[in-house]
Amino acid sequence: MKKLVVCALCAAMVIPAMSVSVSADSKELVLYTWENMFPQEVLDGFEEETGIKVVYSNFDTDENMLEKLSMAKGGDYDVVVADDYIIETAIQEGLVEKLDTSKLSGWDNINPLYQGQFYDPNDEYTAPYGAGIPLIVYDPDLVDIDIKGYNDLWDESLEDSIALTANYRVINGITNLALGQDFNDQDTDDIAKTGEKLLELAPNVRLIQDDNTQDSLLNGEASVAFLYTSQVTAALQENPDLKVVYPEEGLGFGVMGMFIPSQAPDKDEAYQFMDYILQPENAAKCFDYIGYYCTNKAADSLLENQDLVVPDSVTEGSAVENISAEAEEAYNKNWTEFKAACD
Amino acid sequence: MKKHKSGSVWMILPLYIFTIIFVAGPLLYMVALSFAQPKAGHGVEWAFTLANYKKILDPVYMKTFTGSFQLAVTSTIIICLIGYPFGYFMAKLSDQWKKRAMIFLMLPFWVNSLIRLYGWMIILQTKGLLNHVLKSLGLIEKPLRILYSYPAIVIGMTYVLLPFMILSVYSSAEKLDWSLVEAARDLGASPFKAFWTVSFKLTLPGLLSGVILTFIPSMGLFFIADILGGNKIVLVGSLIQEQMTKGNNWPFAAALAVVLMILTTLMIMLYRKVTNAKELEGVG
Repeated sequence: MKKLVVCALCAAMVIPAMSVSVSADSKELVLYTWENMFPQEVLDGFEEETGIKVVYSNFDTDENMLEKLSMAKGGDYDVVVADDYIIETAIQEGLVEKLDTSKLSGWDNINPLYQGQFYDPNDEYTAPYGAGIPLIVYDPDLVDIDIKGYNDLWDESLEDSIALTANYRVINGITNLALGQDFNDQDTDDIAKTGEKLLELAPNVRLIQDDNTQDSLLNGEASVAFLYTSQVTAALQENPDLKVVYPEEGLGFGVMGMFIPSQAPDKDEAYQFMDYILQPENAAKCFDYIGYYCTNKAADSLLENQDLVVPDSVTEGSAVENISAEAEEAYNKNWTEFKAACD
Repeated sequence: MKKHKSGSVWMILPLYIFTIIFVAGPLLYMVALSFAQPKAGHGVEWAFTLANYKKILDPVYMKTFTGSFQLAVTSTIIICLIGYPFGYFMAKLSDQWKKRAMIFLMLPFWVNSLIRLYGWMIILQTKGLLNHVLKSLGLIEKPLRILYSYPAIVIGMTYVLLPFMILSVYSSAEKLDWSLVEAARDLGASPFKAFWTVSFKLTLPGLLSGVILTFIPSMGLFFIADILGGNKIVLVGSLIQEQMTKGNNWPFAAALAVVLMILTTLMIMLYRKVTNAKELEGVG
């Protein structure tokens, strides 16, 4: 009996050791991001080309990712894809590796529109991987004017006909742009001006809603809408005659970034993966799959869904930044005042 | 006051503990929270401040209180005008019809009120049922834009809260001694005078409790304003919800909730004072 136990114990010790040695032979890479961020086709293609197996590990929120990553002290994971604002914190906490761009042959494919953003001003740590851009969409049959930018939303002919998403930072931000101010302006005097300008928009607002805002455009409740990326795509699928406007004053967006943690166990493999994704044909497949705006200039023409390509004329854009509590509060107050004035 | 036997204390104790943990506890937490400060980005800083209450005095936020109050008054008046006669005449029906009416009244409660409000959306929208019907009857040429407007919110409030008024008027009208009304008529009172001096006075407590049951919830029913009003009217309820979720300012939300609670408590106290006085009058 004793012998049996010893045997079992020995086996228990040997078997995991064997499996470790197997995985050490074939190269591996731990990719850490949300679910469904990469098409299987691209991951398989990477393994075929390089012999590196991708282990896909999920998180559900950015905050979760940061917590796990800081517990691992920047180790455990090889490539991470997450939202802009959380990357800013991760960089500040020293969890992100400075990129050696000479190892990335596809680095120059990146659309410069999404570079130099607040979370990585000198593009030292991240490569953008998709962007969400709220845009103006309108029904040309119901609108008499030619909408070119945010300022047109203030036009008198649009009385009681605009549907807005309910993100107070974004709505304040585009009002800033309409006024020629910075999207993330933190000066309280400027924010007061933004508030006044917003009040003038109130008579034109038909509804404010975050979920399925595109429905109001499709069922005729509104003739103009300011929509999130997924809603723009949904609206165009239903009614291709709708017009999408890339506002001339510039865009406000959210970017997802790809980075290598500072203590990543397989850095070489991580560089290879990043470079693989930066290749236009692979990037195009990814963006078609995730349905966010293409951040890879060279991939633009290869995308099946051309609605995810920002036209060349657009050169200005800024992301929603983390701002001071004081500015946040002032924007919040503008928002409440604006909503109350809408009726 | 009777003194309880010591045994019964043990029977009530679990109830007390339950109440303290689940009612008084969160309430105290909310009050404490209302004196704290929001931390930049996320969370709460436990440093005493009155700033949250001072902030409510800002005209922007005061307006949400007056706006909520106005909406509550408007809907309550409309609910009274519809609900009182409904409940009153329901009490006069035959027993069988009373039962049927009651079933019709309760039936909508079997469906979630949110879903019923989406139904109203379909009825009220520009290309919706109401406009279609009015148009085919030739009553209107251009579709009415009711959805996402103030009237749409009032319609929604009235619809959701009306049963409470009907039921409370009905229950007091049912207890009414109709022979009193007959006596008034025999003694020469006109039908209106008999109603006004006898029936109305005796059903007044039902009406008033109906008012409380509709007025207080209508201060806080933010989802009606969100769904049917297109989120354009900021009620205290929606402001609290927004400060909790998007605004990341729990202390301010707590302060708003405390003020709302104080206001409703005052209203209930006022109601009790008024109804007590009426009851005395009725007895005398």
